[in-house]
Amino acid sequence: MHKYLAVDYGFCTGCHTCEIACQQVHGLAPDKFGIKLTQIGPDQLDERRWQYEFVPVPTDRCDHCSYRQAEGKQPSCVQHCQAGCLYYGTLDELADVIAKPKVAIFS
Amino acid sequence: MTEYKTQDDPTGRQWTWQDGDFTVYRSSARTGPGCHDNCGVLMYVKDGVLDHVEGDPDNPYNQGRLCPRCLAYNEMLNHPDRLLYPQKRARADRGKNAFERITWDEAYDIIEREMGKVIEQYGPESIWVTQGTGRDINGYGPYMAQCFGTPNYGTGFLSGQACYAPRIFSTALKAGGLYICDYSQFMPDRYDDPRWEAPEYILIWGNNPVVANSDGTLGHWVVESMKRGSKLIVMDPTLTWCAAHADVWLQVRPGTDAALALALCNVIIEKGLEDKDFVSRWCYGYEEFKEHVKPNTAAWAAEICGVDEELIVEAATKIGNAKSACLQWGVAMDHTSEGFVTGMACFDLMALTGNFEKPGTMVAANPVWGMSVTWMPNDRVWKGCSTPVEHPEMVNNGGYPALKAMAATSPDALLKAMETGEPYPIKAMFMMQNNAISCMGAQPQRILPALQNTDFNVVVDLFMTPTALACADVLLPAACFSERIGIAGHQPYALSAIVQATEPRGECRSDQRIIYEVGARFGGKDHEPWTTEEEFYDYLLRDTGLTYQSLRERSWAYPEFEYNKHEKGMLRRDGGVGFATSTGRYNFYCPEMAHFGFSPFATYEEPPESPISTPELAAKYPLVLTTGARKWGFFHSEHRQSPSMRRMHPDPEILIHPDTAAEYGIADGDWVKVENHLGDCVMKAHLTPRIRRDTVSADHAWWFPERDPEDGTLFGVMESNINKLIPMRPGKSGLGASYKSELCAISKAERNPRHA
Repeated sequence: MHKYLAVDYGFCTGCHTCEIACQQVHGLAPDKFGIKLTQIGPDQLDERRWQYEFVPVPTDRCDHCSYRQAEGKQPSCVQHCQAGCLYYGTLDELADVIAKPKVAIFS
Repeated sequence: MTEYKTQDDPTGRQWTWQDGDFTVYRSSARTGPGCHDNCGVLMYVKDGVLDHVEGDPDNPYNQGRLCPRCLAYNEMLNHPDRLLYPQKRARADRGKNAFERITWDEAYDIIEREMGKVIEQYGPESIWVTQGTGRDINGYGPYMAQCFGTPNYGTGFLSGQACYAPRIFSTALKAGGLYICDYSQFMPDRYDDPRWEAPEYILIWGNNPVVANSDGTLGHWVVESMKRGSKLIVMDPTLTWCAAHADVWLQVRPGTDAALALALCNVIIEKGLEDKDFVSRWCYGYEEFKEHVKPNTAAWAAEICGVDEELIVEAATKIGNAKSACLQWGVAMDHTSEGFVTGMACFDLMALTGNFEKPGTMVAANPVWGMSVTWMPNDRVWKGCSTPVEHPEMVNNGGYPALKAMAATSPDALLKAMETGEPYPIKAMFMMQNNAISCMGAQPQRILPALQNTDFNVVVDLFMTPTALACADVLLPAACFSERIGIAGHQPYALSAIVQATEPRGECRSDQRIIYEVGARFGGKDHEPWTTEEEFYDYLLRDTGLTYQSLRERSWAYPEFEYNKHEKGMLRRDGGVGFATSTGRYNFYCPEMAHFGFSPFATYEEPPESPISTPELAAKYPLVLTTGARKWGFFHSEHRQSPSMRRMHPDPEILIHPDTAAEYGIADGDWVKVENHLGDCVMKAHLTPRIRRDTVSADHAWWFPERDPEDGTLFGVMESNINKLIPMRPGKSGLGASYKSELCAISKAERNPRHA
């Protein structure tokens, strides 16, 4: 069953934990990424509202932490995400997450 | 042994186990490098070498999450530049990379001899024992000073003791102890505990909790509370992630926040939204306070703070109507000259709305099983562990009344004493993980010569810092958290064990072992002769029913927890109901403040330098300067040598609004000279609309460990050092300083410090 990475980016604070967690378990240099943070804004939408958000995007270096999955663990970025806004699972398993207002799904 | 009662069941919990090729050790990261949180970590060790660190999914504190610094901990632990052996250097060679490796015994012999000379010639009070940031060193440093016989102990060169001390002291006068926001951290089941409710409003006061993780609060607890319904009101001159996700964002001029807090109180009273029951049953001086804040209208504060009056009214109304609200504060409060009072005003707001001791409000945070040593040791902890300090009254508190009451030192007065010899000279320093020139010291251009002018200096640290290179005569290598044992704590939710996973690199020793071994050469002689670190911790745990081993077995222990402690007689020593204050109530009217010669009520005062208080200075230096906003990858002056952390933050930055930058012809990425009447430095411009147009926000604590230690610049510590613009001058109480409310001018710089 194919599994997806879901980002509930309404709560991503841009803390870079996913990037570093990935680099550390995969032995990647600091300028090589298995997942990379992107930024939206800061964009002033009207007098009161700002969009200032972050969305981490997996790269082609991402192997879904296959060795961790074999041990029954979550991918390192998902486990360590400080905001708890990364989810990994089948579309069925992610149904509740996908229903949230700001979610990006990566296959 | 007393019996201790816990909330958590340790059945099945292991402190070490085998996972394939790895031996896993469960610990709490409470020692350097890194912050003063207590995150649970799993350390994976293979053939005696630490392979990697993961968050501990079972630890209630961080629930498996972990920040970049601990994830990349190996980059610090195994860095080639770690200090590995004790070293000495001739006094004449201070500032030069001319250290010589010695044994621990020789190091202790030199310290015994040289400190002994200072004590004999000038008296023990001429030794100043300092610490850097408040990790576990907090509890143990005072014992080092006690052994030398000096009453002068504290944060090294931190103007106005401006880190937590101002807030916690001033609000303790108000509420009788330390109170913090309830994010369920007192309960091991956390958000699932049926007793807990998320705060309806979290009032984030000049704090960026998700980055800063202030004072034993893991910032992302705020995010978890938001997922469970909490809404935010944010006071910050800069748009943070939290501000962008707030119901109300109050973008105040730095240093004016006490005015805002008083206005919020005023509006709540005007609208009749105060918690009448709480105020009448549990508070003292409300009627007078009501009169006191009458002039502090929303319009008054709007003018001072530079925010819309309607926003202030809206924020007050939301807090006044909320079922629960709490204050998420941070060090910014201490970084305004009179921030001592700001905490009081914010607490008045919490008391006015009855937000104490209920779920999701301000909750008393007392030491777990009396173990104050994990956080701020009371006077009983080290009693009997050395010859007592003969002249505690000799403490240099600069004559400040609040510092007198706290039995605390004034770093500002101590620096003056080093410069002038008045009221008596400081002739020797014992500095523990205190890179004062780079980080906490204001006006480092004064600190550097003062440190180089003493008779004798000992520095204990993880790396060769600019401070060590500048002034150490004896340099001792401290162990990192995986190399030693200890007890975690800081905020009183739980006790947990710091567990050793690897042998120390080289000959590193824990701060605590260094302290009691050096102490045994002085006043600690013949008292409590601990021969192992385990014995040392067993001694400290003796009244809890735990030993180091039994604590390690269960990894952590959460004491029982109750809300509404003031109604149950659980806060006062006499067992009576109410708060542990002089009046037994929450003090709107604060008798101690009157005793100190201040207004008994919270008041607003302009920062000593501001466009309003010093218009002539502002004509030359027109921008408000705020400093030290926290970065994801750094903890103060640490981590500049960690490649993964430095990738995130390669250069010292100053945030400038694009409109402001355009006025000065500054483009994004330009190097900028930042200057004022005290000094100057260079920073790289980061243009962003997140900051107020009249304000710039500069990084703190920069140095360049990649530089050659022989190049004569002390790792470039004076080049991008924003503290050169900050006065070493406390608030009127002796507490609070001006790190976040100064003035400056900016211009395009001619040079890039990295290619100087």
